[in-house]
Amino acid sequence: MSGNSSSRLSGFDRRAFMACAAGSALVPMTARAGALDAPAPVAQDPALHVEITLRVNGQDKRLSLDPRTTVLDALREHLKLTGSKKGCDHGQCGACTVLIGERRVVSCLTLALAAEGQEITTIEGLATGDQLHPMQQAFIDNDAFQCGYCTPGQIMSAVACVKEGHASSDADIREYMSGNICRCAAYPNIVAAMKQAAPEITKG
Amino acid sequence: MNAAAPEPKANMGQPVPRYDAVAKVAGRATYGSDMPLDNPAYAFLVTSAIARGRINGFDLDDAKRVRGVIDIITHENAPDLKESKLFSNGGYAGTTIQPLKSADIAHDGEIVAVVIAESYEAAREAANRVKVSYTAATPSASFDSPGTTKAAAKGQNAQFKEDPQVGDFAKAFDEAEVKVDAAYETPTQHHNPMELFSTSCVWMGDDLVIYEPSQYVYGLKNGVAEQLGIDADKVRVVNPYVGGGFGSRGSMTPRTAIIAGIAKRLNRPIKLVPTRDQGFTIATYRAETRHAIKLGANRDGKLVALRHEGVEVSSRADPYCVGGTKTTTRLYACPNVDSLVSIVRADRNTPGFMRSPPEVPYMFALESAMDELAVKLDMDPIELRRVNDTTNEPIGGKPYTSRSLMGCFDEAAKAFGWSQRSAAPKSMSDGDWLIGYGCAATCYPTQMAPSAARVRLQRDGRTRVEIAGHEIGTGAYTVIAQTAAERLGVPLEQVAVFIGDSDLPPGPVAGGSNSTASTCSAVMMVCDQIRQRMFKAMMPRQSLTDKAKETVGIGRTPTMQAAKSDRTLDLERAFDALGVGVIEEYGEWKPEGAPPDSFKAMHSGHARLVGGAAMKDKIAYAFGAEFVEVRVNRFTHEIRAPRLVGAFAAGRIMNPRTARSQLMGGLIWGMSSALLEATEIDQRTARYVNDNLADYLVPVSADVPGVEVILLSEQDDHINPAGAKGLGELANVGTNAAICNAIYHATGQRIRKLPVRLENIEV
Repeated sequence: MSGNSSSRLSGFDRRAFMACAAGSALVPMTARAGALDAPAPVAQDPALHVEITLRVNGQDKRLSLDPRTTVLDALREHLKLTGSKKGCDHGQCGACTVLIGERRVVSCLTLALAAEGQEITTIEGLATGDQLHPMQQAFIDNDAFQCGYCTPGQIMSAVACVKEGHASSDADIREYMSGNICRCAAYPNIVAAMKQAAPEITKG
Repeated sequence: MNAAAPEPKANMGQPVPRYDAVAKVAGRATYGSDMPLDNPAYAFLVTSAIARGRINGFDLDDAKRVRGVIDIITHENAPDLKESKLFSNGGYAGTTIQPLKSADIAHDGEIVAVVIAESYEAAREAANRVKVSYTAATPSASFDSPGTTKAAAKGQNAQFKEDPQVGDFAKAFDEAEVKVDAAYETPTQHHNPMELFSTSCVWMGDDLVIYEPSQYVYGLKNGVAEQLGIDADKVRVVNPYVGGGFGSRGSMTPRTAIIAGIAKRLNRPIKLVPTRDQGFTIATYRAETRHAIKLGANRDGKLVALRHEGVEVSSRADPYCVGGTKTTTRLYACPNVDSLVSIVRADRNTPGFMRSPPEVPYMFALESAMDELAVKLDMDPIELRRVNDTTNEPIGGKPYTSRSLMGCFDEAAKAFGWSQRSAAPKSMSDGDWLIGYGCAATCYPTQMAPSAARVRLQRDGRTRVEIAGHEIGTGAYTVIAQTAAERLGVPLEQVAVFIGDSDLPPGPVAGGSNSTASTCSAVMMVCDQIRQRMFKAMMPRQSLTDKAKETVGIGRTPTMQAAKSDRTLDLERAFDALGVGVIEEYGEWKPEGAPPDSFKAMHSGHARLVGGAAMKDKIAYAFGAEFVEVRVNRFTHEIRAPRLVGAFAAGRIMNPRTARSQLMGGLIWGMSSALLEATEIDQRTARYVNDNLADYLVPVSADVPGVEVILLSEQDDHINPAGAKGLGELANVGTNAAICNAIYHATGQRIRKLPVRLENIEV
């Protein structure tokens, strides 16, 4: 994150953010109602919004967000970029994969605040106008999806995987793509798609 | 052509790319929770931490202090909802356990509160601050828990109609020369479709729109209306894309009417995206099963006696069962058959349909036992199937409409290299790896349901097909578009398909592999109505012979290729003769043997599947044969399945590309059902332990090195106009048995309980 970003957080200081971020991390993601005698967490008020600017698909987007908002929820709920999908919200399935810089990250485990000042690329930003990215075309040619829900994450992960140099063999692709679950199990077709697209991507 | 687009054989359509391909790779396919809402409030569920007992009370103070909380709904202030009957007993609901109705808790993870807030983050935090005081009772978790009850399925579940029997099993088994008597078990499994069990509800006055992944929009629409006590015409369910179903979205879950009721009260759209682990308890799952199989055979391998007893777990409230004996008692020729299915009631959420509901567990038992019999007979397992192959099912003697089982075995065996197998267990290895080859049969009933469709044809050839079908990844858009294009003779690119919306003409539930056969048969019929109208207009004096219908207007060009040539003139002439700008036809199709109330039921969202073993004078199944190579490390006991080969025959293959993909996914599901998937239940608390995608193991890319799908050409004119047998649930049947049969071949160890993990191997 750029060094001056905290100065842009109106009405909010970094120390307060860290305190409440740590507090919310203690709360399990799922509400399983515990017994009354469980110790009550310290009351926080993290719902004070912060003003941030996210750079998404080459455009600056100014947002007022709850500081606990993830990149995934910022994209989906605030920027109406719903291509990135929520499949687990735990970083276990890969459906939310986007690129931050050159890296593939699970956007459900990345706070929007932590992505400020960086280049976020989502599935909506991959094509050039009507010209599909070679990986998108390869997914079509090789029927590398069925229900399509994991597909944006698979494609973003596949693009990064090729650029990382982890697409030189079938076994390599299978290993380095195993963070993206496809419940329809289109895996062999995804491998074929990546082999088709890899030369075009590395060449370009 | 590449591997994904196999060259069509006889009676196969073209392997055209998916209709929805660009939308899906570009991130433009809109799933339920992608739908934009105007100023939504966010819901977060609170679920029970006990499986049985009562709620004493809530402490909501801490939760209500969270900034942005709008309301917290518990049983003390929940919307009043009417009950709905179980899907299997003629209703809409996947469970009759209705949360927020009382202080009683019937299962782990039951919804006990719903927090509504201005943001997702606030709703989540407040939900975690809801404190519930319980009085817990000791729950019964599963088969062997104290407090369960057991009773025959027949009589309590309307969908389970009979325990098939024929001849004198006891005597024949007693006198049989060779016998197998073995018990098998399959585990609890959860569908875990990638899309979560989300629901968005928007009211506009008295009209409700629901955005939710559903495999049955008409069922959901009517079910929610029933629960809310409003006219079904006031409810619309929209889901043009569904992020996987696998059976989990065929019946209504309680969440929908709850959210709809709260949205009405707050007069604001509400969006609920439950967590992955909540999906384990607020929807259905595949319950654990137990099987006792007895096979008696002559020395030549001919079966003389077969008994299959199945026991399944269900909830206290509901008599759900899959009852796969209707298939396993009819697959092979055998004169003396007996069977019984029972249900054990425990303190669990109600189970439901999961991909190949009856056949995955029941065929595991039968096809494992067949392999055991082959070993006892010292006979090749393929030859054992051949000896017992039959043209007529043994219970009622009805003929199979077509049956390519042995053709599938032969094709798959050849592709797999079965002849390279040395029959003795532990006789093949590669370094530290013991190698095993195994095979099993698969089959799945050919089912159909009534379906309506509306087709509109414009002068320029542009065609619009409307049907409330469902795109759950099967290729529904694609095969419907292909069917209309072929039938009307218009270019495929001219056809627009609208599905996944209950305002469209009713389609069937996307379950039981009936969708393609049902929807495409309906589309064919309605396209023919259009052709007939054009024919009548252009040749008013001619009688409507089938021959004539084929020789006029667009009907003359049944292929895409020909349609691209010079058909414009004919279309123009037809429209001129008709004197209209658009031809639109609506029709309702029902399969042979559909009950008299079929169309009424279709509109009220009641599924009426017919076919399979339930047909009057015939029986219709799709068949296949599956071969696997397993490798078991002799030191670490790690189990790998490097090769899966399946050959399948399923009547007309509408699109070899989408068919292959679905069968490939099915094979991987089958492997997974044997080696990976099991929901662990804490036997003391009756709670699910591994309720997330890291601990509930589903296959990832590294688990599936080699999968080969072979499509056999098969024509069946006795099933439905489309000539299609379903295949979505065909490929993941029998794979589990093939894997265990291969493990036996590799290690000499017979495994009868799934899943097989390395700790179960005793080399």
